[in-house]
Amino acid sequence: MRDAITRIKIKPLSWTPYLPPVEVADATERQLAAMKVTPSAKKVSPYVRTLVHDPDSYVARTELFNAIMYAEGGLPRQDRELGALGASLVNGCMYCANVHARQHAKLSGPCTTSALYAGRRDALSTRDAAIMDFAEALTVTPPRADQSHIEALRSEGMDDGEIQDLIHSIAIFGWANRLMHPLGHSSDTPRACRKDFRRV
Amino acid sequence: MTAKDAINTALGVSSGDAMYQLRARRPAFVSGAEACRAAVLHPEDDLDLSPDLRHAVAHRAAAFGANAAFLAGYPAPDAPELHDLAKGGQPSDPGLAALARHTDMIAVTPARASEAHLQDLLSAGFSVSQIIALSELLAQVCFEMRVVHGLSLLRNNTNA
Repeated sequence: MRDAITRIKIKPLSWTPYLPPVEVADATERQLAAMKVTPSAKKVSPYVRTLVHDPDSYVARTELFNAIMYAEGGLPRQDRELGALGASLVNGCMYCANVHARQHAKLSGPCTTSALYAGRRDALSTRDAAIMDFAEALTVTPPRADQSHIEALRSEGMDDGEIQDLIHSIAIFGWANRLMHPLGHSSDTPRACRKDFRRV
Repeated sequence: MTAKDAINTALGVSSGDAMYQLRARRPAFVSGAEACRAAVLHPEDDLDLSPDLRHAVAHRAAAFGANAAFLAGYPAPDAPELHDLAKGGQPSDPGLAALARHTDMIAVTPARASEAHLQDLLSAGFSVSQIIALSELLAQVCFEMRVVHGLSLLRNNTNA
């Protein structure tokens, strides 16, 4: 069944803010510290420069995000990425969905993301289906996830520590999606242009 | 970690509980969530968004979680206009009214967000920095809502 789906390679998108980002030359000391700008590292993405308008929340959120997505041990990285993808699809954040679908494909091959992009939920492994179902139910407002979702994750062999990791990776995209999607738009950009965009 | 952090309080967890021990296995999640909450509710630089205004917005967003214990962690301010904003009313002040509409949209239907929504906030007098700070505040509440909901399921399931 899974082999019948065309394996796709997802192209990266670029993100452009609607609001003017902080220009490094105009940044306050706290903003520079938050962006970790140093004489040898002056390039900062438009995303970072947009959010660093509020350096307090930028620093706190970035530290939490990295802890959740890159913490050692516990839930495998690809499962955290799938939780992020499920949340991003519900929240309509195509940029985040693109980034985390590509991360997932990089970590565990293109089968899962190809099935999702083809609308073939039936072709997901039972583990991936349990993760997606939980991600969607936890992401809607109000959250509708229930014991049946936990049972499904448990029957895939997940322990409480791993489920805790999954809850956080889904929840942090309830945050990130509410920044990336409302504050900017994504577009399909040729590679050469993307490089230029980063240099801005 | 203390049993009194916002998430433990919303979950009704005390320090001897299995849920307390489970959360303690990820200390960076616990301290990070508390630091984020502090950064959006009472940051070092508040960008002229008062703690009461921040609490009003947070309460209004948190109410969409349909969880009384979680909502209790964001008490509504007493000042009548901000109380009305917190409690889901439609404030007469144009700035607060724009903020009320934005809060509801971001909390419930973020997929519908567009550039026009940001223009509404700019037109209502919010600065770019304030819009970013309000965006982070709203999103933090939505994050915490889901952590509490998810962990509450684990708690029920394991009698933690």
